Amino acid sequence: MGLDYTLVLWNKHKKTYDKIIGFGMLLYLLVFIILTLVLNPETTAETMIIRAFGSLAVLMLHIILIIGPLSRLNPQFLPILYNRRHLGVSMFLAALVHGVFSIIQFHTLGNVNPIYAVFTSNMDYGSLTNFPFQVLGFLALLILFFMASTSHDFFLKNLSPKIWKGLHMMVYLAYALIIMHVFLGAFQQETSPFTIGIMVIGFMLITSLHLISALKESKIDGLKSEKADDGWLKVCGADEIPNDRAKIFTVGKERVAIFKYDGKLSAIHNVCKHQGGPLGEGKIVDGCITCPWHGYQYLPQNGQSPPPFTEKVVTYGLRLDEGMIYINPDGFEEGTEVEPVKC
Amino acid sequence: MEKKDEFYIGYVDAVGEETKRTTKRFVFIAIGVLLLGAFLFGFFQKEAINSAFDFNAPTKVSGTYQEAPYPMLRIKLGDDTFKNVLLLGFGKFGANTYLEDIKQKEGNLNGKHLTIEGNLIYYNGKTLLEIDDGQKISLTDSKTKNYMLPEIMGSHKVSGEIVDPKCYFGVMKPGYGKIHRSCAALCISGGVPPVLVSQSKNAISDYFLLTDLKGNPIHKDILPYIGQPSLLQGEVEKMGGWYTMRIDISQIKKLDKVSSIY
Repeated sequence: MGLDYTLVLWNKHKKTYDKIIGFGMLLYLLVFIILTLVLNPETTAETMIIRAFGSLAVLMLHIILIIGPLSRLNPQFLPILYNRRHLGVSMFLAALVHGVFSIIQFHTLGNVNPIYAVFTSNMDYGSLTNFPFQVLGFLALLILFFMASTSHDFFLKNLSPKIWKGLHMMVYLAYALIIMHVFLGAFQQETSPFTIGIMVIGFMLITSLHLISALKESKIDGLKSEKADDGWLKVCGADEIPNDRAKIFTVGKERVAIFKYDGKLSAIHNVCKHQGGPLGEGKIVDGCITCPWHGYQYLPQNGQSPPPFTEKVVTYGLRLDEGMIYINPDGFEEGTEVEPVKC
Repeated sequence: MEKKDEFYIGYVDAVGEETKRTTKRFVFIAIGVLLLGAFLFGFFQKEAINSAFDFNAPTKVSGTYQEAPYPMLRIKLGDDTFKNVLLLGFGKFGANTYLEDIKQKEGNLNGKHLTIEGNLIYYNGKTLLEIDDGQKISLTDSKTKNYMLPEIMGSHKVSGEIVDPKCYFGVMKPGYGKIHRSCAALCISGGVPPVLVSQSKNAISDYFLLTDLKGNPIHKDILPYIGQPSLLQGEVEKMGGWYTMRIDISQIKKLDKVSSIY
């Protein structure tokens, strides 16, 4: 958590994370370049750079895209999620080198503007195999640029988490464009079943992990609550919630997290104000509900971040009747103090 | 014993043992995937051809200038041996722009002896010269020489891929196919002559400079056919080591198959 905006709020884990990213990228480039120089010495430096950085960016994007569902399925992957934006920006830089070198190589020094040439030098838009694949890569790079350039809490706060999240969900559109860019471009000419195979496996892995995590989420949404006469909802027994942890329920159209701590129960809206992390998968640490994604904290009894922080979430009324928890489906204003229920 | 309820917070140094183990496992697998990817993408590349572009070593070439169908210099190699060097401009342009100044000064250059300093491009017996400055062209003999007439080789049907010779013969690797198609289209629309690279087994030549039916240069009209397997038919002539084919563009047949010129 931070009060003001610095370029990077460094800590031990972020530094380790970035060192691993740098090491992985360097290792990839070294192996690719050495193999190319040994096995394909006639190749040009430009071609080698375009291929090395393009293939690196594609592989990094696959790794990035499996982190989300893996963390949803197993919280032990959360350290990988924590600094994913640095991995995203690094991937964008690799894609940028690929894109800039490709535009310089194939589209500059001609009789039209290079960007205009990207869109017009092959006009077979009606054909699949002859489709101008460069356009797909260019659009994907544009999306990645907007994502990378707003990959900071300053933009998250100023664009609002909802718009920011919407913008960053465009990574899936970029991924689809990149897959088509590769299959309609490089793979039309470089047809090794091994390179095509690794991309197909990557696509299947990403798709299946997303489906499995979506199935898990839909089970949470499917948890039925029983409506009492006064309109409150009977959700579960107090003993079903572990200490310092929560259980998530869908109340109306919203997900709510009911936490148990120090022999008390409190309910707050499940969505963290920072990046929309699932607070109900968090833990009570130092008396605060702590978001599993980036450690943003809220007091359970009022949904407010402890001073000097200012984030607030909606709170809900609870009551306990014969060991069963009942929740008022009408939430209070964000940050409203609600007396915790003793259990 | 109850399992420890681990919880990771990025800004807290301590990390639970299980979480640490899972994270390490993920990092090793991710690095392994990168290594495997580097190996597969590095190893399974089609080998580049041994074409050459002397971009940082200019060469002076002297010979008889020949304007049609595309600018060339006819170089004397021996008593009765000549070779035509195809002239090209800098970037994605033909040679004409660079020849304008000297043409204005000296008039018609056809058949006259020129010396040009440029960068050589060569592959498989063909030589091309990139001119990057009109000032590097000089008239070394203003006497007009009679040059040999083209040899008529008859009508031929050849399948292959239309490329821009500048990239194909050395500037880019690969300088053909789908990946390079946009670049080839820009080169040819900028004045670089289109060349058909043959993939027919018994073709009379590996390469054909393409012109229209009257023997005039073609550029923009041929763009839709570049970089894809096609079948062309036309009257073939031979001149100074280059074959030219006079074609009717509307009769080019696109072939629904993978190009095998490489």
